[in-house]
Amino acid sequence: MNNRRNFIRTAGATMLGATAVSRVGAASLPEAVIQTSPDMQPPLIPTTGRPYNPVVTLNGWTLPWRMKNGVKEFHLVAEPVVREIAPGMKVNLWGYNGQSPGPTIEVVEGDRIRIFVTNKLPEETTVHWHGVLLPSGMDGVSGLTQPAIRPGKTFVYEFVLQRSGTFMYHPHADEMTQMAMGMMGMFIVHPKDPRQMKVDRDFVFLLNAYDVDPGSATPKVNTMLDFNLWTWNSRAFPGIDPLVARTGDRVRIRMGNLTMTSHPIHLHGPHFEVTGTDGGWIPKTARWPEVTTDVAVGRMRAIEFDALAGDWAFHCHKAHHTMNAMGHDVPTMIGVDQKDVADKVRKLIPDYMVMGERGMADMGEMEMPLPDNTLPMMTGQGPFGAIGMGGMFSVVKVRDDVKPGDYKDPGWYKHPAKTLAYEYTGGLPNPARAAGPTADKTTLIVRKPMGGHEGH
Amino acid sequence: MMKTRIMATRAEMRAPHSMRPLKRLAAAGAALFLAGCATVSPDGGFGTVQQLTKERTGQTATWQRPDAQADSAKARVDELLQQPLTADSAVELAFLNNKGLQASFSELGIAESDLVRAGRLRNPSFTFGRLSGNGAVEIDRSILFDVLGLLTMPLAKQVEQARFEQAQLQAAFEAVGVAADTRRAYFSAVAAQELVKYFGQVKEAAQASSELARRMAHTGNFSKLTQMREQAFYADATAQLARAQHQAVAERERLTRLLGLGSDQLNFKLPERLPELPKSAVEPKDAEQTAMDKRLDVLMAKRSADAVAKSLGLTKATRVVNVLNFGYANRSQTGEARSNGYLIELELPLFDFGVARLLRAEATYMQAVNRTAQVAINAQSEVRESYSAYRTAFDLAQHYRDEVVPLRKRISEENLLRYNGMLISVFELLADSREQVSSITGYVEALRDFWVTDTNLQTALTGRSPDASATERPSAKAALAAGGAH
Repeated sequence: MNNRRNFIRTAGATMLGATAVSRVGAASLPEAVIQTSPDMQPPLIPTTGRPYNPVVTLNGWTLPWRMKNGVKEFHLVAEPVVREIAPGMKVNLWGYNGQSPGPTIEVVEGDRIRIFVTNKLPEETTVHWHGVLLPSGMDGVSGLTQPAIRPGKTFVYEFVLQRSGTFMYHPHADEMTQMAMGMMGMFIVHPKDPRQMKVDRDFVFLLNAYDVDPGSATPKVNTMLDFNLWTWNSRAFPGIDPLVARTGDRVRIRMGNLTMTSHPIHLHGPHFEVTGTDGGWIPKTARWPEVTTDVAVGRMRAIEFDALAGDWAFHCHKAHHTMNAMGHDVPTMIGVDQKDVADKVRKLIPDYMVMGERGMADMGEMEMPLPDNTLPMMTGQGPFGAIGMGGMFSVVKVRDDVKPGDYKDPGWYKHPAKTLAYEYTGGLPNPARAAGPTADKTTLIVRKPMGGHEGH
Repeated sequence: MMKTRIMATRAEMRAPHSMRPLKRLAAAGAALFLAGCATVSPDGGFGTVQQLTKERTGQTATWQRPDAQADSAKARVDELLQQPLTADSAVELAFLNNKGLQASFSELGIAESDLVRAGRLRNPSFTFGRLSGNGAVEIDRSILFDVLGLLTMPLAKQVEQARFEQAQLQAAFEAVGVAADTRRAYFSAVAAQELVKYFGQVKEAAQASSELARRMAHTGNFSKLTQMREQAFYADATAQLARAQHQAVAERERLTRLLGLGSDQLNFKLPERLPELPKSAVEPKDAEQTAMDKRLDVLMAKRSADAVAKSLGLTKATRVVNVLNFGYANRSQTGEARSNGYLIELELPLFDFGVARLLRAEATYMQAVNRTAQVAINAQSEVRESYSAYRTAFDLAQHYRDEVVPLRKRISEENLLRYNGMLISVFELLADSREQVSSITGYVEALRDFWVTDTNLQTALTGRSPDASATERPSAKAALAAGGAH
């Protein structure tokens, strides 16, 4: 696995083409490259075909291709995979080429591409190229536009990319199950002219959600709304990479939503503009300045901003979506004095600890044993303590000294002098108030009824 | 039935030396009387009972007779009451103290006196008649000996011996029954007492839930409905505990009755827990044969059939002449010299030729034979059933101990982990702890059932029917009475 990753990193795509030939010889099928590391791979700089500015897939990678008679050939293998959601939790998913989501496919406007899809799932599948203009027979809806790909079979999709933009791919056969199991990937069509919509850093990821019962490893595919793992590219904070940029970089973040609810994605710090939608690029005059953009179900959004130095939280603003597995039927304990009851409970359950009396933040601080393969609800330590968020949360880390093409985590931001919130340690004098009237014998004394009305 | 008395007097019989045969007869009678005389044994036959009982219960039964060592028995009772009771010491106590059992031991004394009486000749009877009229007085005197009784004495003695042995078996049978009842009551009492503790824990968990829910409602975090649901658990748990507490009292009192303890002896101690489950269940070999050889009700039925067979022989022997009285007679008449003679009384089967009695005896015999067969069939079947119950109880108790309880514990551990992750609330945690406790009560009940079925199996193998308790069984005496008919 590591060898493979290093190989991809160092050798690059050209060598992969060569490997493919050496492995399968003169066969017409390009090698299906496998990636199993959950870490973010460096951008795949194109060495064949039209040039473009590659994207970086958050905790993911880009699928290598080979050129054959001017056609870009890709090989996707639909198969069961094991994905680490965050350290301490692995989930059985279905994905492509060793990962869920599958690799990002990057192509250029005008490219003719041929995608071989091999089905190694236990059931039939198809691939639908979400948002891509193509011949109807390549649209991948089983039954409607093509027969399903039976297990063990390989189908070929071949079409020419008409328009640049941000797209997705996912199955359209038993899609409820297959998407609940993580079958999805990003599909990026770069403009023919690399100068068009050029940015310094271009991040992509999918929004996805799973319902994995604590202590288990396979998502419950019948769950409709009550998911408990809210993820980006099937990773939950603290398993999500930071989005690293250099001060002043033009940064683009492209997001596709394949969950069953919308996600208001919010960026702290720099304001951004929505520059791309499902339909393509938005003309400058029509762009919305925002700090939160709602990425609705089945949609893609591209936002752009100029990076400002600092550690900027970047998250879904639905508060439950920045949590990991939590009980949704747990009553609120705030304000309930549990002390003496707790003693009683502890007689029956010796390891019982009082929680929630002061809110849920206790969770972030207490390190208590959890069921196997279960992420704590709120984890992740920042430089000032527990961050208290999980799930759809990451940090945009902008530094002055980041080199171009460097996506390494630069660590925590060092705040310049006098730019950090601080504790007030002065006194709290009583405010001066005007004196009220004093009571005399004519003052009405109101006697309140005593007892029996505590519940009012 | 018509009795014809044939009297031979001096008027009809010439017997010039009438005193001589009378003397000889008296001498022979005295010899026979002495030979046939059975005496009361020093232990009243209780030694056999003790042995039978000890073999079957492991404990020695004692018969508290007025002259016996009542003080030492009382001392032993006091000594046993000092320590927490074990099943064995409870049985020992019951043997010493159960008044009903002592009462049934007294049957033995009654049977023995019958046996002794059967070995003795019926007292000779003396008749005296005086007739007067027309200035004359006639006086008849006669002394009669039960000659036939003398002839049939060996047979009668055998019958009474059988009855006596029957009574010994019966006494052992009662003792084994009391022992079984005591063991069952003991295990039930210990279990009931242990269950009170666990139902107390359930109540405590429910109380914590209820109290917390009350505070939740007070701070506005719970609706009245949710609060009352938690309160309802508590209310139910309280009722459950009250029932368990009464059950413990009832079981203890049942044991108290069997132990024959008075109101000044009520603070006897029971252990906190039932004995552990044995490592493995017993596999009795030749269980049914053992029951045939050892079971007291089987032995009694066999003995009873034997006795009936013997009495059948007796009936055959006496069906023509069943009473023959022979005696000395004399007559004095006014104005005449005393005339001496002898008389023989013979009962003749003029209308009852014995056939009806023979039929009755045969029917009685067949009844005894069939009853014995039925007792044997029941015993064999009971052994099989008891073994199944025993084996099931063992497997169940083991299952609770090795599967259910540990599983519930692991579930509780997992639930605590879920609670740690705020995946479930403290209320679910408490509800789960209630269920965990229930699994323990399930184990206690299974363990109690095991010990009860163990007692039942032992009883079925060597003692008696395990179904009915000794204190509820009137049938044994009826069977004895039927078996002893002759």
